[in-house]
Amino acid sequence: MVAVDWYYLMFVFFFAGGLSVFFGGRHSGKINYVAHGLAALGCLATILCAIFVFRQGALEFPLPLSLPFGVMTARVDLLAAFFLLLIGVGGLAASVYAMGYSKEYYGNRYGLMTGLFNVFLLSMVMVITVSHVAAFVIAWEVMSIVSFLLVNFEYEKPANTRAAFVYIVMTHVGTIFIISAFLLLTVAAGSMDFIRFDGSALSATTRNIVFLCAFVGFGTKAGMIPLHIWLPQAHPVAPSHISALMSGVMIKTAIYGMCRFFLDFLGAGPVWWGGLILAIAILSCVLGVLYALMENDLKRLLAYSSVENIGIMLLGIGSGMIFMSKGEPLMAGLSWSAVLYHAFNHAVFKSLLFMGAGAVLQSTHTKDIERLGGLIKKMPYTAVFFLVGAATIAALPPLNGFISEWLTFQALFLLPQAVSGVAAKLAGMVLIALLGLTGALAAACFVKAFGIAFLAKPRSLRAENAQEVSYIMLAPMAGLAVLCVLLGVWPQGMITLISSVLADFSGLHAGELLSANWYSIAFTGANAGGLSIPLTIGILLIGVLIAVGLSHLYGSPRTIKGETWTCGIVPTSHMQYTATGFSGPIRRVFHSVLRPQRETIVDEIDTNHYFGRRLSYQVAITYVFNDMVYRPINRTILLTARFMKTIQAGSLQLYIGYIMAVTVLVLIWNAGW
Amino acid sequence: MTMFIDAIQALILLMAAPLVVGVIKKAKARLQNRRGPVLRQLYYDILKLLAKDSVESPTVSWIFRITPYIYFTAALAAAAFLPIWLYGGGFANDLLVFIYLLAAGRFFLVLSSLDAGSAFGGMGGSREMFISVLVEPVLLLAMLTVAVRSGSTNLFAMAGTAMQETFSLSYFFAAGAFFIVMLAESGRIPVDNPDTHLELTMIHEGMVLEYSGRPLGLIFWAAALKQLILILLFVLLFVPWPSFGAGSLLLQGISIVVKVVLVAVSLAVAETVTNKMRLFKVPNFMALSGLLSLLALAAQ
Repeated sequence: MVAVDWYYLMFVFFFAGGLSVFFGGRHSGKINYVAHGLAALGCLATILCAIFVFRQGALEFPLPLSLPFGVMTARVDLLAAFFLLLIGVGGLAASVYAMGYSKEYYGNRYGLMTGLFNVFLLSMVMVITVSHVAAFVIAWEVMSIVSFLLVNFEYEKPANTRAAFVYIVMTHVGTIFIISAFLLLTVAAGSMDFIRFDGSALSATTRNIVFLCAFVGFGTKAGMIPLHIWLPQAHPVAPSHISALMSGVMIKTAIYGMCRFFLDFLGAGPVWWGGLILAIAILSCVLGVLYALMENDLKRLLAYSSVENIGIMLLGIGSGMIFMSKGEPLMAGLSWSAVLYHAFNHAVFKSLLFMGAGAVLQSTHTKDIERLGGLIKKMPYTAVFFLVGAATIAALPPLNGFISEWLTFQALFLLPQAVSGVAAKLAGMVLIALLGLTGALAAACFVKAFGIAFLAKPRSLRAENAQEVSYIMLAPMAGLAVLCVLLGVWPQGMITLISSVLADFSGLHAGELLSANWYSIAFTGANAGGLSIPLTIGILLIGVLIAVGLSHLYGSPRTIKGETWTCGIVPTSHMQYTATGFSGPIRRVFHSVLRPQRETIVDEIDTNHYFGRRLSYQVAITYVFNDMVYRPINRTILLTARFMKTIQAGSLQLYIGYIMAVTVLVLIWNAGW
Repeated sequence: MTMFIDAIQALILLMAAPLVVGVIKKAKARLQNRRGPVLRQLYYDILKLLAKDSVESPTVSWIFRITPYIYFTAALAAAAFLPIWLYGGGFANDLLVFIYLLAAGRFFLVLSSLDAGSAFGGMGGSREMFISVLVEPVLLLAMLTVAVRSGSTNLFAMAGTAMQETFSLSYFFAAGAFFIVMLAESGRIPVDNPDTHLELTMIHEGMVLEYSGRPLGLIFWAAALKQLILILLFVLLFVPWPSFGAGSLLLQGISIVVKVVLVAVSLAVAETVTNKMRLFKVPNFMALSGLLSLLALAAQ
């Protein structure tokens, strides 16, 4: 078989799965396994298609569609194949997980959900593979609308409807910019086919406009700050297997779009392109992770952490663009490798974490970590998988998050060598320090998420009665957790793949990382530094042996049970540190950014045996960009609407009068006075 | 080969670490007109703890049980990556691996502090994460002052560059910046007080409050090792003089030992002449370190 066969098979599977929208709720049980099974098969075919493209080279064939835009081709080059692989892996895990998780939603609309799930996957594959403006825009719109419908699946809850509304508005604002960018390129190339696009044929101004439009358009979908507001609203309210797909996979289509535009269409540009991207990137990193740390809703915490991770990818993109414009192909190759590696890693671990959060949600029916606790005993497997995800997102070696974070650090470290001027060099250093700050905040955030939700005593009856989820939900989490470890201990494989992807593009030269020994990745281009995971693991193993040996020095260790020390009081779950308390010191230090509003309510009635009265403490943080950007825009729109209302009085005679007036004006204008 | 040299180096440092703690304690006691414990006191303490059974709360999970091993291993691996032998190898002794190994140890220690469900543990853990958030960026900045000059994040390359250079103002600022970071990261006054069990001031001690017996012994030892690692890093990267080159290993070794003792004594002096800072003054202290690093970078 060849890649194109797998491509069509994928199409057939997803399409057949999509047909389940026509089936009602009586057959929910069957629909579940058939539709999600088809989705899983489709994802398998996607993975195989990508693998065949990697082995046999790029794939190109006309799509059998007759639309009035000329011949539309699908072109799966290595970049597209890389993202196909990402969609396939994330989608496969989500499809299997959905078989267990989506049982919650059995009912009249269940067929709709499973069908849309398939269409969603199909639309993402189409976005990556089509090579024609009209087809791309159609696929992009289908992806946006289907995900909107999935976000709004439980439309009975007003919060969901509102989140979905914000999402659809923001995503369409982004689409406007994307279409503009495409149209400018189309006009210059005289064709809608991607292969004819050539940024160097454009004037400098047009090129800048195309760049800005693409950056804003795809940045909205990616969720970079300040265009992120939809992401933390929409991702948490979608069913968890959908959240995993949206956060893990869908926002990577935006990264794909940026790669396509910046690497393929536009090529090296002026330095300020990279500078702008870096500024937005570091803002997304730091603010994203700060908001994540302050959040106590498990799924919204993960959504904000996606904003942060998009920021890390943008750091790679920004430095890559600067290196390209300065003519440093080796360093550019390193930067773009970091981007692709982190994109793949994020797809793996964010899907894993969302699935873990979904398992917790299904088992306890709450996302509020203040009401969880002690789940490590009730849900031991979920806890292990969530811990792997938390450790890898905090970039602990030797897991995969560390590798891509290391690559990004190296890219930023080389930045001062390419730019000139003390201020620019210092700015490069500050970027590294801020990335370090992001890493530390991410560690704090996931210590909090795991520590409060899974450790110590249960804080509510719901957490007390939690049970481990079914094997069909645990299996995909296990697979992703294994992938996290594999991509960490053996980064060479993924880097080889990425360097073959990047070999297609001019202005950068990847693969330099691999020229050292088999057991290491080292950037020889500028003698910057190297990483040897086998060596690190070897030393860690020796360390573990010594530690275990030491504790067996005087015979095997024995332990006695004794209650936690609480000054003699019998410990209860109320004495435990809360999530709000845990993040308290950091909230206080960053108060100028977060502007927390505290409220303490003291209940005078004697309700608590030890403290005399009941206290409740509430804290809410202020989101800077909501206040500074979105509120004014909202207000302006409302004011404009009110003004329009006075013109639009609802009287038919008045409207006819308007038409008359306009007609007369046009006639006069045409007659040329 | 590299791995074994690294492992041997880690073992030597492990054996030496409690002695450095002893030096600091002795110097501090002398400055306070006390006689203080004998230099080898921590060895006795650790050996005693390693022979004891431990008590653990019924609330805890396996996280609590594996944390001492992870914390110990992470510190030991970080010690293996220090650029001491200067044999010219060690392409993989990367700065970031080093920093993130220490971060991994901290990640699990904070998790285990939450595991027992006591307010003291949570308070210690919360503050530890708070301090680490402040320390991590300035630690990176301070290290970058050397890394930028050597054009590499490899610790060996950085130490080699530092040795070949003559004294400059930049070094002065960078050394100041790293000294502050070292105080915070190894949990000493004015950021944390290693001698107290007073609930409202402790950070590290609060986190390990639930540990006893063998696990506590491992944690004590790892904490001592971590402190030695930071002192050595300070000596190797920021005070590389007098340098005897890689040729005369013996002289180089003696010079390193002497400098480590001097830094240990200076830590004791710093602890004696300052007070513990209020927790929310620490950000300013760290900002000072960051500023010094930026000055050092600009002065190059």
